[in-house]
Amino acid sequence: MDDLEKRVVDLVAEVLVDVKKENIQLNSKIMEDLGAESLDIYDMIALLEDEFSLEITDEQVEKIQTVQDVADFIREHRKAS
Amino acid sequence: MQHKVVITGMGMVTCLATGVAANWEAVTAGRSGIGPITLFDASRFATRIAGEVKADFDPVGHVSQKELRRMDRFQQFALVAAGEAMQESGLTWPPEHPYRWGVVLGSGMGGLETIENAVASCISKGPRSIHPLVIPKAVINLGAAMLSIKYGFKGPNMGIVNACTSGTSAIGEAFRFVREGRADVVLTGGSEAVVTKLSVSAFNALRALSTRNDEPEKASRPFDRDRDGFVISEGAGILVLESEEHAIQRGAEIHGVIAGYGATDDAYHFVMPDPDGEGAYWAMRYALEDAAVDPSLIEYINAHGTSTDLNDKMETLAIKKLFNRAAQKVSISSTKSMTGHMIGAAGAVEAIFSVMALKTGVIPPTINLDNPDPECDLDYTPNKAASREVRWALSNSFAFGGQNASLVLQRHG
Repeated sequence: MDDLEKRVVDLVAEVLVDVKKENIQLNSKIMEDLGAESLDIYDMIALLEDEFSLEITDEQVEKIQTVQDVADFIREHRKAS
Repeated sequence: MQHKVVITGMGMVTCLATGVAANWEAVTAGRSGIGPITLFDASRFATRIAGEVKADFDPVGHVSQKELRRMDRFQQFALVAAGEAMQESGLTWPPEHPYRWGVVLGSGMGGLETIENAVASCISKGPRSIHPLVIPKAVINLGAAMLSIKYGFKGPNMGIVNACTSGTSAIGEAFRFVREGRADVVLTGGSEAVVTKLSVSAFNALRALSTRNDEPEKASRPFDRDRDGFVISEGAGILVLESEEHAIQRGAEIHGVIAGYGATDDAYHFVMPDPDGEGAYWAMRYALEDAAVDPSLIEYINAHGTSTDLNDKMETLAIKKLFNRAAQKVSISSTKSMTGHMIGAAGAVEAIFSVMALKTGVIPPTINLDNPDPECDLDYTPNKAASREVRWALSNSFAFGGQNASLVLQRHG
């Protein structure tokens, strides 16, 4: 895991009250595997937007499934900006 | 059939300490919890002092850091105080009959800090900056809901919003649920986190707060002639109420009995109390009638005693009117002289202090009572705790809005 991916794992762990950090893998599906509900996702998006100064639309959120997707999205979006 | 209502668990968070034992030690020693405001930069405020809950208010780890992150401060206090009360009650959860267990929690302003921050963010960064948890953190009934989620209580559940009377009103309504047999167990009390920019500036605009900024520990001085307003503070008090038969059946330790509750409104003014104390008088009188106890039997009154000019005179007058000659024999104190005024949590914390007076035979003092106001001429237990056997106590709360509530507490056994 690179630094960005580690940071994303930290943020996901911060949001999901019942999930231990060591159980979060890059290929973990945030809803199916980690049990996130929709409010958790919006909570996480708010943290990501704040930390990485980006805006994620609801359409873009729907395409994000795994922890890796989150990291990739941020990397891509940061490059573009 | 009416059930006798007993208290089997108590917990609190105040500016003095976390936990009932540490708080009781502090108030009977006459310590003040008031200090300079650190939660925000108060340098431009008329009032720069308050009773702030210290950062480490969850020393036993009742609530995980992750849980805390999702809650406003008033919900955090409630959860920590409830953790202590539940642990002490010996109840196990989730309950076997969850629909027989309820929650009634008072708070005057709920997630005020969450609202303040969200408004600032909405104006400066725009509507997209608002965090999805603003509503659940802000709304007042979520305090009660958080407790039901944590412990699996599925019975009657409500938030009580009665400004400074919220905590006492909540306990009174919870008492009725248990007495009437609509619940076996009710988690109740009050929680408040209003040491915020908006609240301090708004109470300053009403000229309600003490501005004795250079002597924070002397600022809350109920019944003293040099008092200059109340000192705002924060915290929570939570009690486990239970029907006596339910408590006995499971072998629970009983701390005290709630024997009566009276509630009225002044119908007089939106922030000033009726100077004749009529509403306060009737709240106390109804509470005593509810408990079927004669005023002459009351040995201790935990006064509302805010340290405002109007309240302390009015409350004194109301006590004299109700107790007549017996008024001079009652031990009275305002623990707000040490804790400050926790608004919606005040009545709950003070009900617990009243129970502790019943249990221990110690009357906590009113500190900073150096020169009594000539119009306040009762025994307010000035500056030093007193020893006295207490079988019956009264705990008063009076609100902006004129809501008055009074509880009669009885020693168990």
